[in-house]
Amino acid sequence: MNMVQQFDPAQVDFSQDLGTPGARSDVMVNVFIDGIGVSVPEGTSVMRAAAMVGANIPKLCATDNLEAFGSCRLCLVEIEGRPGTPASCTTPCQEGMSVHTQTARLDKLRKGVMELYISDHPLDCLTCPANGDCELQDMAGAVGLRTVRYGMEGENHLQKGKDESNPYFTFDASKCIVCSRCVRACSEVQGTFALTIAGRGFGSEVSPSEQQPFLESECVSCGACVQACPTATLQEKSVIDLGVPSRKVKTTCAYCGVGCSFVAELRGDEVVRMVPDKQGGANAGHSCVKGRFAWGYAQHQDRVTTPLIRDSIQDEWRAVDWDEAITFAADRLKAIKRTHGVDAIGGITSSRCTNEEVYVVQKMVRAAFGSNNVDTCARVCHSPTGYGLKQTFGTSAGTQDFASVEQADAIMVIGANPTDAHPVFASRMKRRLRAGADLIVVDPRSIDLVRSPHIQAEHYLQLLPGTNVAVLNAISHVVATEGLIDEAFVAERCNKTSFKAWLDFISLPENSPEALAGTTGVEAETLRAAARAYASADNGAIYYGLGVTEHSQGSTMVMAMANLAMATGNIGRLGVGVNPLRGQNNVQGSCDMGSFPHEFVGYRHVSDDTVRDQFSSVWGVTLREDPGMRIPNMLDSAVAGEFKGIYIQGEDIAQSDPNTHHVAEALRAMECVIVQDLFLNETSHFAHVFLPGTSFLEKDGTFTNAERRINRVRPVMTSRTGLSEWEATCALSEAMGYPMPYQSAGEIMDEIAQLTPTFAGVSFDLLDELGSVQWPCNEQAPSGTPIMHKDQFVRGEGQFITTPYVPTDERSTRKFPLLLTTGRILSQYNVGAQTRRTNNVVWHAEDVLDIHEADAEARGVKDGDWIEIASRAGQTRMRARISDDIPAGVVYTTFHHPVSGTNVITTDNSDWATNCPEYKVTAVEIRPSTEQRA
Amino acid sequence: MSTAGDYKREHLIKMVNQIASNVPTREDIPAQVSAHLRQFWTPEMQETLRQIATETPDRLNEEVHHALRSR
Repeated sequence: MNMVQQFDPAQVDFSQDLGTPGARSDVMVNVFIDGIGVSVPEGTSVMRAAAMVGANIPKLCATDNLEAFGSCRLCLVEIEGRPGTPASCTTPCQEGMSVHTQTARLDKLRKGVMELYISDHPLDCLTCPANGDCELQDMAGAVGLRTVRYGMEGENHLQKGKDESNPYFTFDASKCIVCSRCVRACSEVQGTFALTIAGRGFGSEVSPSEQQPFLESECVSCGACVQACPTATLQEKSVIDLGVPSRKVKTTCAYCGVGCSFVAELRGDEVVRMVPDKQGGANAGHSCVKGRFAWGYAQHQDRVTTPLIRDSIQDEWRAVDWDEAITFAADRLKAIKRTHGVDAIGGITSSRCTNEEVYVVQKMVRAAFGSNNVDTCARVCHSPTGYGLKQTFGTSAGTQDFASVEQADAIMVIGANPTDAHPVFASRMKRRLRAGADLIVVDPRSIDLVRSPHIQAEHYLQLLPGTNVAVLNAISHVVATEGLIDEAFVAERCNKTSFKAWLDFISLPENSPEALAGTTGVEAETLRAAARAYASADNGAIYYGLGVTEHSQGSTMVMAMANLAMATGNIGRLGVGVNPLRGQNNVQGSCDMGSFPHEFVGYRHVSDDTVRDQFSSVWGVTLREDPGMRIPNMLDSAVAGEFKGIYIQGEDIAQSDPNTHHVAEALRAMECVIVQDLFLNETSHFAHVFLPGTSFLEKDGTFTNAERRINRVRPVMTSRTGLSEWEATCALSEAMGYPMPYQSAGEIMDEIAQLTPTFAGVSFDLLDELGSVQWPCNEQAPSGTPIMHKDQFVRGEGQFITTPYVPTDERSTRKFPLLLTTGRILSQYNVGAQTRRTNNVVWHAEDVLDIHEADAEARGVKDGDWIEIASRAGQTRMRARISDDIPAGVVYTTFHHPVSGTNVITTDNSDWATNCPEYKVTAVEIRPSTEQRA
Repeated sequence: MSTAGDYKREHLIKMVNQIASNVPTREDIPAQVSAHLRQFWTPEMQETLRQIATETPDRLNEEVHHALRSR
């Protein structure tokens, strides 16, 4: 054997494209690549092993986020003792194998292959948008192509026209080399299967759906195909317009709770494109239409970049400088304090802001305002998660990392629609489902996961809205009465007294599927089969969303799921767990940062003397020991004339919170409403001070995603407002008499780490070194904690809690016979403030009401008709869409457009423990509208 | 005719009765209600609730009255 050198695996640059995915094996094999010895996991391709040692074999159809395909025939190698020239991408390494990647024979073969490609490719490199960023161009150079014997006028592709239907990318078939990377990316990475290869042989071509334009096809515009394309065939329009990027900055997406890592690619201060980071812990190189493409709002003409003030909400806004705005706001708040007391003012933090920005707001409220009247928009989404998981497991967070789903054998999705709301995680989940995991869907709506290409839920529990707890109790009843409890896990890990009480309760006949079928609408046998599938799987995992939390029993439901996971031993290892899919990018972080009125940072109650003393000491101020008001309490008090001033960070409560009329009345009653946001939103109609916020592209700080992963948000461009948001907050605090003289966002994180045991090891330096960490990150876990509760629960023993089903007060009646449930769709985000200001509106220009055909027919409503929809809280109008995704008796809509006024009709019913609004159940009636709206 | 202050009181009544109906462990409900109020309600809200219990006692569940008496 001619080994001349052994390669050090620590030298591998995993950020480069290694050609094929890594192999998972404990068995290592030793191979020699051009004489360099390297040890790789069994199953590793020759191409990958070669790339690891720096011997990059020419390739076109291979890339390391797709399975090897072996079609381009460029990556041929010679292997000692073997005949022929096998493709290195499809040839696995074997012990002792000696590979040659550069020989005269290979050079000749590769040139021949490249000649064929180039003979049917336009020679417009100098004017091509991919010039300098084209793998075909690179490979032509790599193989030393100098002539093309077959001419340059290929007959099959050069005359093809461009498909420019998608707002974000073009498809230029004339440049296509039919490597199938786009098709495979759509299938393997995204899991949508919108693309295929139509035709045969030299006439083969990429086809969206049935040779439709991209926009009309099943394509979800995730951009995986664009990223995979080695030529300019699929090309971002922004690159066509602006040119190839010249610099890169790693940062984190500001949309959903998946928290994808991106590389922002720029020319100067202008973003050219966002490329998902292959090394991103949350997304592993994938993204969705929002993260990859919908960032244009940061430069939208509606951005307000100058502070605004006005004496009353009837006045016009007056643009002022920061000093005047801060002084104006502080004077008003101080005057309210003097007249009405410290309890008359408060603040709301935002899940769209960084941990550091949230931290300084809650600190300002507690230290400068002098009360605990701080709450967060998580109040209206995942506050029951915080309550329920803390009661049962001991900490207010999900138990797993996203990668854990790859080890799950039975996946239960409850009240979540991941393909729309958490699309990048959904792709990961769908990959596991295609590999054979069982799927249980619990949802009133037949979401995409119930049935879509290559995905079908084995068990679909189409329950009636408002009956989650009854369904979970019935599932647990089956587990308890059919011998499916993991007795060893319970005995070792859980509190025995609480388990006994729960077991007695859940075994009652009234909790059986048969007894509850009339309540839930789920047939007993269907439910029993689902319960057995979850409990019998080696690894059972629960994923849930706002369809769990936004109910009058949201907290009870979270505890019911935790009970089920503990009873079946599905906690504390890969592939299991109870996993909240957080709505906004920093819901977890904003909750972690002490945004709730009863807790300091790290979920420690304000009445805990030891904790409060610690904060008082570091902050240099005496702190209150009594809980402050939640958002609904603040609004009620405002209407009562007792609460007078509020600081609202990055949230549009006049659109997002329920019972809009009541929210508006409360805001109108206040003497000082301060809104900090990117745009003049619905809430700003009632504001006296508008402090311009910064987009995620301007922020410096951290976001914490749904898997507790703390990711760096780095400034891609300079702040358009002249200040960071945390600087504006600190300025107001100082003007209120409490200085917060931080010099940087990193300094704020250092204080968070000082005061928070679960963050003790976190710093910007550590995040820059590791990329990201999942809390707890401290002396015991210096690199973070991907899986929680491994050896014991945070609270010690897992606590079972009985979960009696209590029906909501909101029931269908003769006057309001339909049940409305609300949600979100893929292309839009929350109140739409960002996505409505991007080209995503082509997919969703307005909110519509989905209604079952039978309900529509009974009311004389046809598809596309304008309808009036009324509840006991109010009424609004929108178009109807006939849909079979929902059962008769249920209607569904979104709340992305303020003109729809969806939350005019939602009520102030809320979760009993946390006051999270019951968005998912509103009794309504609809009728055709006599008035049409353009 | 209701007033602005009534709305707040009505909401507190609804909240506390809902807490009493939903606290998970059905043993010693008053103690659980009491603990919940201590943990999550402001002193002012608790004081308003005591006023409600005095002025309109029939609006509150019996468990809520027990909870208030036991504090």
